[in-house]
Amino acid sequence: MMKMKRTAVLIAAIALIAAACSSDGTTTTTTSGSGDPSVGGTVTISGSSTVEPISALNAEAFRARNPEVGISVEGPGTGDGIKKFCSGETDISGASRQIKDSEVEACGAAGIEFVELRVAVDGLSVLTSAGNTAVSCLSFADLYALLGPESLGFRDWSDANDLAGQITGANAPYPSAQLTVTGPGEESGTYNSFVELVLEDIADERGQEAQTRPDYTASANDNVIIEGISGSDTSLGWVGYAFFLANQDKVSALAVDGGDGCVSPTPQTIADGSYPIARPLFIYVNKEKAALNAAVDLYVDFYLSEDGLVNVDQAGYIRLADYAAVRAIWADRVTGMQSY
Amino acid sequence: MTAATKRREEETKRQVERAIGRSGIDWTSVWFSGALVVLLLTTLSILLVLIADILMKAWPTFQERGITFVTDGLSLNPATAGVFTAIVGSVMIATIVAVISFPIGIAAAVWLEEYAPNNRFTQFVDTTVRNLAGVPSIVYGLLGLAIFVPLVRALGLGGSSDGKNVLAAGITMAVLVLPIVVITAAEAVRAVPYSIREAGFGVGATQWEVIRSHVVPSALPGILTGTVLTLARAIGETAPLLVIGVATGYFAPAGDATLADQITGPYTALPVVVFSWSRQTQAEFANTLAPAAIIVLLAVLFILNGAAIWLRNRTEKKW
Amino acid sequence: MTPTLTIEALAGDPKRRRKERRVRTLFASAGMVSIAVSILIMVALIGEAWAFISQVELASLFTFGWFPRRGFYDIPTLIVATTLIAGIGMIVAVPLGLGTASYLAEYASPRARRWLKPTIELLAGVPSVVLGFWALTFISPEFVQRLFSAAPPFTMMAAGLGVGVLITPLVATVSEDAMRAVPIDLRLASYGLGANRSVTVRKVVVPAALSGIVASLILALSRAIGETMIVFMAAGAVGGALRTANPLEPGQTMTAAIAALATGSDQVAGEGLAFQSLFFVGLLLFLITLVLNSVSNRFVRKYRERY
Repeated sequence: MMKMKRTAVLIAAIALIAAACSSDGTTTTTTSGSGDPSVGGTVTISGSSTVEPISALNAEAFRARNPEVGISVEGPGTGDGIKKFCSGETDISGASRQIKDSEVEACGAAGIEFVELRVAVDGLSVLTSAGNTAVSCLSFADLYALLGPESLGFRDWSDANDLAGQITGANAPYPSAQLTVTGPGEESGTYNSFVELVLEDIADERGQEAQTRPDYTASANDNVIIEGISGSDTSLGWVGYAFFLANQDKVSALAVDGGDGCVSPTPQTIADGSYPIARPLFIYVNKEKAALNAAVDLYVDFYLSEDGLVNVDQAGYIRLADYAAVRAIWADRVTGMQSY
Repeated sequence: MTAATKRREEETKRQVERAIGRSGIDWTSVWFSGALVVLLLTTLSILLVLIADILMKAWPTFQERGITFVTDGLSLNPATAGVFTAIVGSVMIATIVAVISFPIGIAAAVWLEEYAPNNRFTQFVDTTVRNLAGVPSIVYGLLGLAIFVPLVRALGLGGSSDGKNVLAAGITMAVLVLPIVVITAAEAVRAVPYSIREAGFGVGATQWEVIRSHVVPSALPGILTGTVLTLARAIGETAPLLVIGVATGYFAPAGDATLADQITGPYTALPVVVFSWSRQTQAEFANTLAPAAIIVLLAVLFILNGAAIWLRNRTEKKW
Repeated sequence: MTPTLTIEALAGDPKRRRKERRVRTLFASAGMVSIAVSILIMVALIGEAWAFISQVELASLFTFGWFPRRGFYDIPTLIVATTLIAGIGMIVAVPLGLGTASYLAEYASPRARRWLKPTIELLAGVPSVVLGFWALTFISPEFVQRLFSAAPPFTMMAAGLGVGVLITPLVATVSEDAMRAVPIDLRLASYGLGANRSVTVRKVVVPAALSGIVASLILALSRAIGETMIVFMAAGAVGGALRTANPLEPGQTMTAAIAALATGSDQVAGEGLAFQSLFFVGLLLFLITLVLNSVSNRFVRKYRERY
């Protein structure tokens, strides 16, 4: 009996220590860092997984200055994020495309006013191995023939010749060489961007689903995609521009022809919109929550400040040429969709 | 005796002598014994290489960061990212697992061994427990996703995580380890000799009194060892957490967050951090931070295992 | 004067008896929890799995690959990859596990056994996420890609080898228990007939412990089929996979398919029946492992009864 009691005490002690440890966590994490500790509250951010890295880096930097603020950032996807945003669950939602009319209606029905802010530009790079000198530029039609939904089973560039012949703008015939494709998986924002920017129009014209061929090596890890592309001389794949920049020794970026001639991806061509596979990234801010919750307000201020924009570079995206217009929209709390 | 008979006898004698005093070696036996040694050494060296490889990869992190790697929370910057948030999450989950699964599991074991009549139904319960122990952990994740997360939400405990919090995780993990608690506790209870019970009944104690003051205390070392190992299992599991929505992104609690806020808010756990760091795009996360997190995880598990062995040795009874 | 012992006194205090009944009910209800959990699992899986089966076009269950976000639910892709990875795991674990078990049970001195056994149990305690990481960062580059230079970083081979490492201690410990359960008399009789240790192990101990050994192998197979993290991390195919039986290509098992679909968001992104398909695969997995575990338990009971 004695022994049993002692054990019970032991177990209770362990539980207490565990509880103490976890409440310790609160205090140590909240008192560390420097900044204005007067602001409290929480900021909840959801939305696009493409925007998530910028928001998360900003969240961390922001919290270092405002250690009393609680922040959570997740990235289930633009659509899921806006659904939550329009039901009032989140304060801010990242988006890798502009909000749709149906979503604006949903938000309106729930009485939620939003401020739309363009925060960065995401450029995709179409890559091949650094050893590949035969190809230097591909048009949207070429990319559709090689990577689109109808290219299922093509294991050689020349397999796509027939298909390319049916699409205007294609540079067929292609040389006969092994075609190995590596790219991001369907859960990724980079996949969606590629489909929307490159494949969607041609797929619609041809009555196909807007998607890539399913038979390619997909990875969530960009380093693995780079490995896959550099592994074969006649490979093809795509990643976010930042990962091409970091691996220029292994892979080379092809110029892309979106109808106005071949353009290579550079920070300039991406920022000014002349490179055809680039898209703006947005955050949507709940106006009412920003008015009621100083933490949300300050976080967005920080996002658009110079210290916040550093994280756009850090996350691998391109800054807008000029943030004056965006800052003005935020300063005036202009609600609704903007036109660009 | 004819010469032929004698010759036959000598021949037999020679053959028997050769058979008994055989100088030849039984090569099959040698080969077999050698193969066993090689197989054993291979198994051991896999463990050795595994630990050495992870330690070597983790070393730079510990060298540069020291204890701050354990005391720092989540970060997207490899220079400041630590496992503290994950340790807090794992401790909270383990506490909930202990609170739920230990009482129910031990009670179920006592019922199976002490109260339950020896009939078909009891056998059915016993078989059910054994089968549950073999259900893949990811299936428990689906159970949590379909039932426990909505349950937590429906009870109004969803908090800022919308039900994807340590409560849902703790319940899911508790259900996952419950059959293991029952099986190990039942084994410990079964090992208590019947004479102990008879002594209790002999002085007029009821069954519950015998169980409370004799059976359970006698079986306690075995039960405790089992429960500690169960906690180790709950701390090491990853797959069910991924299914029920453990946070793989960045989060930090508010300054005025109470323990309740933390329990209902987003969370992460040690093995989940290993997983999410291994697929971060910044190479440092996969190359040295994930191995360092593995070392912390293994250290926690080894401490728990050591505690189990210590408990067993300290309180072991010989009958 | 001694008090007379009455029937009432022997029957005990009614309060105590009431307490006894309450405690018994309480414990019995704890015993019922396991049944409740089983029912919950079935309820959780069958509802969505039925929604999937009743709405899905049968043709999409047999296509060229598993791409649930696009409506291609090729079940054979998952079955082939699951079988392949579990098979590779078994090829690793059967010799290593049985060899280790035989050595521990029959050859090792008590002193060697005292530290060998905990070491093997240590390996058994390594979480699968650790082995998944190791399969991806060590087994794949240092072993698979060295042996087969054309192999990509994510292969079913690397995952299978990782699974083999995971289940080796399981085979070893369960088989060793079975071998040690063989009565010493059988060994003594064998030695008495002039057999040496090797012959005794091969001809006496292993056949006598066979049902336990078989049980350990089935258990290990079930564990290999149900393993998630190693496959999810090392076998590649995140979104989906083509049907292939080539171990040097990425693949998608049943478990990894569930994990890949469910990670990151509480409701699966994507269209159609992707979310429901996850529960259908889960049900399939549940039933397969249930059958394997039942068979394994039957074998265990057999050897427990025999000795």
